[in-house]
Amino acid sequence: MKIQHPISNPGAALLALGCTLASANALALDPTLTNPAISAVVDGYYQSSDRPMSERTEGFGLGETELALSANIDDMFYGKVTAVLESSDGESEINLEEAFIQTLAMPAGLSLRAGRFMSDIGYLNNQHLHTDAFTDRPVAYRALLGGHYFDDGVRLDYLAPTDIYWSLGAEAFKGDSMHAEDETGSREFSNLGVFTAYSKFGGDIGDAGSWMAGLSYLRNQNGRFMPHEEEAGAEEAGHGHSASYTGENTYAADFVYKWAPQGNYKYRHLTLSGEYFRVTGLLSDEAPAAGAKRRQDYHQAWYLSGVYQMSPNWSAGLRYGELDAQALEADEMQSQKLRETELSLGWHQSHFSTVRLQYTHQQGANFDGITDDNILTLQYVMSLGAHGAHQF
Amino acid sequence: MLCLWGLTVRINSKLAKFAAVGLTLAYTGLAHAELNVFACEPEYAALTKALAPGASVYAATTAMQDPHQVQARPSLIAKMRRADLVVCAGAELEVGWLPMLQMKSANAKVRSTEEGLFFAADQVDPLDKLAQVDRSMGDVHAQGNPHLHFDPQRLLKIAQALSAKMTALDPDGAAGYQAALADFSQRWLAAVPVWQAKAAGLTGKKVIAYHTSFRYLFNWLGMEQVADLEPKPGLPPTSGHLASLLKRAGEGDVLAIIVASYQDRRGADWLGERAHLPVVMLPMSVGGNDQSRDLFGLYDSVLALLNGVK
Repeated sequence: MKIQHPISNPGAALLALGCTLASANALALDPTLTNPAISAVVDGYYQSSDRPMSERTEGFGLGETELALSANIDDMFYGKVTAVLESSDGESEINLEEAFIQTLAMPAGLSLRAGRFMSDIGYLNNQHLHTDAFTDRPVAYRALLGGHYFDDGVRLDYLAPTDIYWSLGAEAFKGDSMHAEDETGSREFSNLGVFTAYSKFGGDIGDAGSWMAGLSYLRNQNGRFMPHEEEAGAEEAGHGHSASYTGENTYAADFVYKWAPQGNYKYRHLTLSGEYFRVTGLLSDEAPAAGAKRRQDYHQAWYLSGVYQMSPNWSAGLRYGELDAQALEADEMQSQKLRETELSLGWHQSHFSTVRLQYTHQQGANFDGITDDNILTLQYVMSLGAHGAHQF
Repeated sequence: MLCLWGLTVRINSKLAKFAAVGLTLAYTGLAHAELNVFACEPEYAALTKALAPGASVYAATTAMQDPHQVQARPSLIAKMRRADLVVCAGAELEVGWLPMLQMKSANAKVRSTEEGLFFAADQVDPLDKLAQVDRSMGDVHAQGNPHLHFDPQRLLKIAQALSAKMTALDPDGAAGYQAALADFSQRWLAAVPVWQAKAAGLTGKKVIAYHTSFRYLFNWLGMEQVADLEPKPGLPPTSGHLASLLKRAGEGDVLAIIVASYQDRRGADWLGERAHLPVVMLPMSVGGNDQSRDLFGLYDSVLALLNGVK
């Protein structure tokens, strides 16, 4: 799915992009085609050791450096392009994370999106990484959705004309990043691989509180693992944007609750959120290992997170997440477990700059040799250019 | 409280019917489909209510909430989905949330100012427009100060334009909108000289205030904001900055320290205690205190509070 262009001279490319930024009016008023909203996110970190299924590695590194351009194309279409520069193992790549158009004027609360975009399943998935309160996505996302699931496809969304917020949506995607592990590289995957359906509800509780809850389903045609006859090795915890653990059906439930005194977000606010994922249909029926002893034929992951903005300058977050996944080892499904407890402290000079210190405690069982790890991460995330309006 | 009008109408449609009977007595001839109006701030909810008494009006924020920092929350998306008209201050005040609501609400009617979108700042000439804006200046608006509703002249112009907008969207209600505008204008024009007479003693008075929230009020009354509790627009008061304000207050010519109903008064209290200056919390909008039930009550209350410190 990724279009990767290893660039021979990433410095020059960045410089060119930087010049584009500087020449445009950074605080574009009403974005138009001649004056689109342009923004960039810079993200850098130091981490004390590696984390599984994460793009952040030990030592100094850059997270996703993001450049985004968006505008209304005309009275019917809105367009957005987000390029992400990533560097890992000394190589820089430009990936397109978003390149989509969306309708603005369809009747009856309908809207259509096409191109490459982030799926609307779950709560966190359609949020940009730089708005997160932690340095990495919860283990549920890293293991089951490759961090965040974006892909090439289409979406139809319907917003009901009800007093309570109620939306329904369906998506179809190519699904390359959701392929099951292919040991021999000879498997023919369907190129219309992923279908999703979701529904979200939301409302207010008085002036101070607001909530949203969602249910999602993801069908992955290429999600069943088809073991090779001779050697059926354990699944490798992969890097990049590909899901490490796949299956045919993913069921997800999510909620978020936000609170601010009298609903005033200027000084203090609290965000509580949680999601639960269950992935079933792990093995192909035709697979020789189908008869293998299956103690548990599903992956399961969840997290709970609380983030308190205690003043305009300081925020603190606590998150706990678990992954209980299955991997085929010697014709037998073996359970792999990872538990993460994370504590983050953020300092914000303004809405646009964050310096974050995070402590992560990982406990693993049969998981890449992780038993009891402590990780410290120091990160900055800053955005420049146009004010982006954030999602709830 | 006005900010709850929309809610009341929604939850208690029976109650609303009783209320509607009262309104129908005052404004007969409004028996047609009423506009569904989404107001970004309570001052524009109050103005819309005065200009379209039969309309269903929902205020997205209260006077206790900073309109710069609002969550594009699900309830607002649902409200905007069904709106015929969206009324906001404009001048980029809502830039952090309105575009997201428009995108998510998938309501073509309220996308463009040519149709059901109305920006108050487009109708008048805002103060403090800036040719060049840079993030290092803090949260400033290139299109000028958007807290327009404390200028009675500008507000009347906005009222006229809003009435015309509602007439254009709902021609059947034209007679009703005209009658309501005439009634509002008459009461407003009668009230302004009374307010000015009440505020005569405030002319030339100097204050320290939080943000440029009351820029238009001070401009109208001939008062002067000699210092800002914020070191830069949008940034909270720092101890170093407060120390410099204490020095400024020491010159002895400052009447009071002014904060708005959604602003933290701790910095103001710290300064007030040390400089022996009164701290006055003014309602930022309708619903900001018990007296501010509508725009008239808001002006009355603000002037009474300011006169109280003399």
